[in-house]
Amino acid sequence: MRVSPWTEMSAMNVKHVLTTCPYCGTGCNFYLQVVEDKLIGVVPCKTDEISRGQLCIKGYNAHAFVQHPDRLKTPLVREHGELRQVSWDDALDRLAKEIARIKEKYGPDSIAFLASAKCTNEENYLFQKLARAAVHTNNVDHCARLCHASTVTGLLYSFGSGAMTNTIPEFGDADLILVTGSNTLEAHPIIGSHMLKALDAGARIVVVDPRDTPLSRLAHIRMSQNPGSDIAWINGMIKVIIDEGLADEEFIRTRTTDFDKLKGVVKEYTLEKVESIAGVKGEDLAKAARLYANAEKAMIAYAMGVTQHSNGTDIVMALANLAMVTGHLGKESTGLNPLRGQCNVQGACDAGGLPNLFPGYQRVDDEQARTRFEQAWGVKLPGSPGLTLTCAVNEAAVGKLKAMIVFGENIMVSDPDLTHVEDALKELELLAVVDIFPTETTKLAHIVLPAACYAEKDGTFTSTDRAVRLLRRAVNPPGEAMPDWRIACELAKRLGAKGFDFSSPAEVMDEMAKLTPIYGGIDHERIDREMIRWPCPTKDHKGTRILHAQKFTKGLGTFAPVHHSPPAESPSEEYPFILTTGRNLFQYHTGTMTRRSPKLERQAPEPYAEINKADAKGLGISEGDRIIVSSRRGSIALRARVTERIIPGAVFIPFHYSEAAANWLTNAALDPVSKIPELKVCAARIQKG
Amino acid sequence: MREEHGNVAPIMISKGEDPGDVRTDVPYQLITILGNIYPWMTDGKKIAVVTRKCDEKALAEFFKRGYFDRSRVIQIGLACDKEQIGKCRCRDPVPSVVDIGEQQVALGTDALSDKLLEMSSEERLRFWEYQFRKCNKCFACTANCPVCFCDECVLEERTFVPEKGVPPGMSFHLIRAYHLSDKCIECGECERSCPAGIPLLTFRKLVAKDFREMYGFSPGDEKTISPLLTTLEGEPLDGDECDEC
Repeated sequence: MRVSPWTEMSAMNVKHVLTTCPYCGTGCNFYLQVVEDKLIGVVPCKTDEISRGQLCIKGYNAHAFVQHPDRLKTPLVREHGELRQVSWDDALDRLAKEIARIKEKYGPDSIAFLASAKCTNEENYLFQKLARAAVHTNNVDHCARLCHASTVTGLLYSFGSGAMTNTIPEFGDADLILVTGSNTLEAHPIIGSHMLKALDAGARIVVVDPRDTPLSRLAHIRMSQNPGSDIAWINGMIKVIIDEGLADEEFIRTRTTDFDKLKGVVKEYTLEKVESIAGVKGEDLAKAARLYANAEKAMIAYAMGVTQHSNGTDIVMALANLAMVTGHLGKESTGLNPLRGQCNVQGACDAGGLPNLFPGYQRVDDEQARTRFEQAWGVKLPGSPGLTLTCAVNEAAVGKLKAMIVFGENIMVSDPDLTHVEDALKELELLAVVDIFPTETTKLAHIVLPAACYAEKDGTFTSTDRAVRLLRRAVNPPGEAMPDWRIACELAKRLGAKGFDFSSPAEVMDEMAKLTPIYGGIDHERIDREMIRWPCPTKDHKGTRILHAQKFTKGLGTFAPVHHSPPAESPSEEYPFILTTGRNLFQYHTGTMTRRSPKLERQAPEPYAEINKADAKGLGISEGDRIIVSSRRGSIALRARVTERIIPGAVFIPFHYSEAAANWLTNAALDPVSKIPELKVCAARIQKG
Repeated sequence: MREEHGNVAPIMISKGEDPGDVRTDVPYQLITILGNIYPWMTDGKKIAVVTRKCDEKALAEFFKRGYFDRSRVIQIGLACDKEQIGKCRCRDPVPSVVDIGEQQVALGTDALSDKLLEMSSEERLRFWEYQFRKCNKCFACTANCPVCFCDECVLEERTFVPEKGVPPGMSFHLIRAYHLSDKCIECGECERSCPAGIPLLTFRKLVAKDFREMYGFSPGDEKTISPLLTTLEGEPLDGDECDEC
């Protein structure tokens, strides 16, 4: 604890600082309790519309990692294989010099930037501006590529906007909630709590998931589909709705196009056929279809179980078809809702941390949009889309990409097929990582810069329901750590770029709002007092709770005729199981924060694989046994959890644990449109360890 | 509490500081907040805290166990309004000294308690099983509870609450009920902060009722000693002595 500066006259300084949770995308606000400069706890905010004075276990422990002794405190530069402490000036000069050298020698597109769903909107705006305006490349992407890239592509096609159509509190008033590919109570607990409110009030809940989840155990209808068979059951449901005359013909006629194409496609998805592909009972599916179609207020929620497939874009569009066929869109508690998994993954996309899109989803290959940004930034900008995160790794592996500057991502745990990622990163001439803790990725870096975390800076996160929420600085960063926005500005200046003279995140937001129509009316002063959800085009606009109310963002909604296709990898004799990956309640992503939070780590301290009881029996495996799970790409050793919560033939491994990272096994097969990898399905083998 | 950033926040101010837009209608559990801060407040200064009747009782439990120095804590009595009394189904809403608000009458009954007591024990079990199945192990009921101050929490220990997944077993809730049986002052914070909407205040009220009826004991009085701590002290037990050994 720091020495307190209190005197006889002044008592100790105790503050409750309102800020936004750094874990999932729900956007709960809470108070950080601060005594002097020490973070001691978290108090929920009772008047917050989203969290209503309630938090999950991660929220209650969101202070625990902040002042952990492992925090990166000084810039580090690798010399003779070792990371050595240097001054900020030294580190930034070297980084700028290396970027300039590589750009000169190999061209700007040999450099890629990774923005961060853990950083603020303002920071992500600066990261993409740094890449585009200072380095002249569109190679900027972030981990949205691994989670909802297919939502962005799919819903842009179907509706014209790839975000939640409704707000989180609206779940509480729905009559029916269809949840698929989302373990909502574990991955988005407070969104789950709004669903439980609806349940208590008599709403029906339908869960479609290969795993038994805490929510599915409370559901009225629960279907366990085979991983990778989603389009089959969704098309089957649509067929039932059309056949039984439950479609909303008025909505289809006035609000959508291409219904005939859809009709042609779904007619072959009979209940028998669906059962044979997806393994769900026709009777249950028909019942679910009727419940969904007949409900007055029906919400769909989905997450990675839908998106992380090599046909993720198609699955997302299939769900959009289902919502449009029934007209369940554009109304209170009625819509299609992708649940975004990181505190600011929505905002990192909004702010243009994507290789094909400027802030506000304006295309880099649209000349008008580009001209606007060129005029605002005073530089010529590249017009062709850059590399996605997944493609950048591939290019690095073949020596085409030479430098990667990573702001707050731990790709050596989070990305698929880690052997490939490791090989690729080792090929780079420059790997610079900005982070708050040492990670598996900083181990490979040439330059490591210490960043301030969420509790140590100002800025905004955009929650999964499009609410732009403030972070308020509660404590000082450790040692010499600096907020990422400052690091980005300092680096840009050293690269000779103009337009990076910001003195606060509020100023950055003012510039971003001018260039981003959906954020046009947003500034820090406004959102300090009111909850605003984008689109908010002007200062007198109150923001938008429900999207597509009168018309779709793109005008008419478009039905996409999509067919079932099998996953890239199917079980074989050698690899007879389907491996699926995901989160648990207590850990978060690559564990850099939660595993340093004692109360969270206690709850889920070691890596495990869930396998079905019958499969375990066949392999002679009992609860707690050491096992080895392998795929065509690697092997990991971990403990077995024998359970009935997963269907026979499947194995589930949470991806949080670097000592047995599930991503050594996963398949980097990509969805052709969104380039999202198939993290949810690959073929695997289980052996006793 | 005061209004800031479009919300109502718990605040702590120094002597002479302007408190700003004070609000007393949002039921933050200030004793829990004080309990978090107190060990860090090493300057020995006095702390005044707005206390409802339940908070006053919670403080009594702290004083009784020596967790707070009584001379450092000054109470500012807040009489709850009708609406809050209704939400808490509160039997005892008036603080010993009313500094803020006007005293209102207590509510005699909790409708859900009455309904549950009319059920058969099987029905009652089914009711609670459904409720506890919604539990998502956030520990809000312990984190926000003013009188949940064991040095080591058995709920964070794996014998009774294995770490694997959610919901935790029934033992989680029963252990809590037992541990709070002689401390719970029915502030309702567990129920308000439960994301699963489990009617935890009713659960507490039912245990409190048993305690009142069986031992004539209610928590929150500094002078009385918990029956859980007294059985083997004082007078010998009445009745026949065991003559089997």
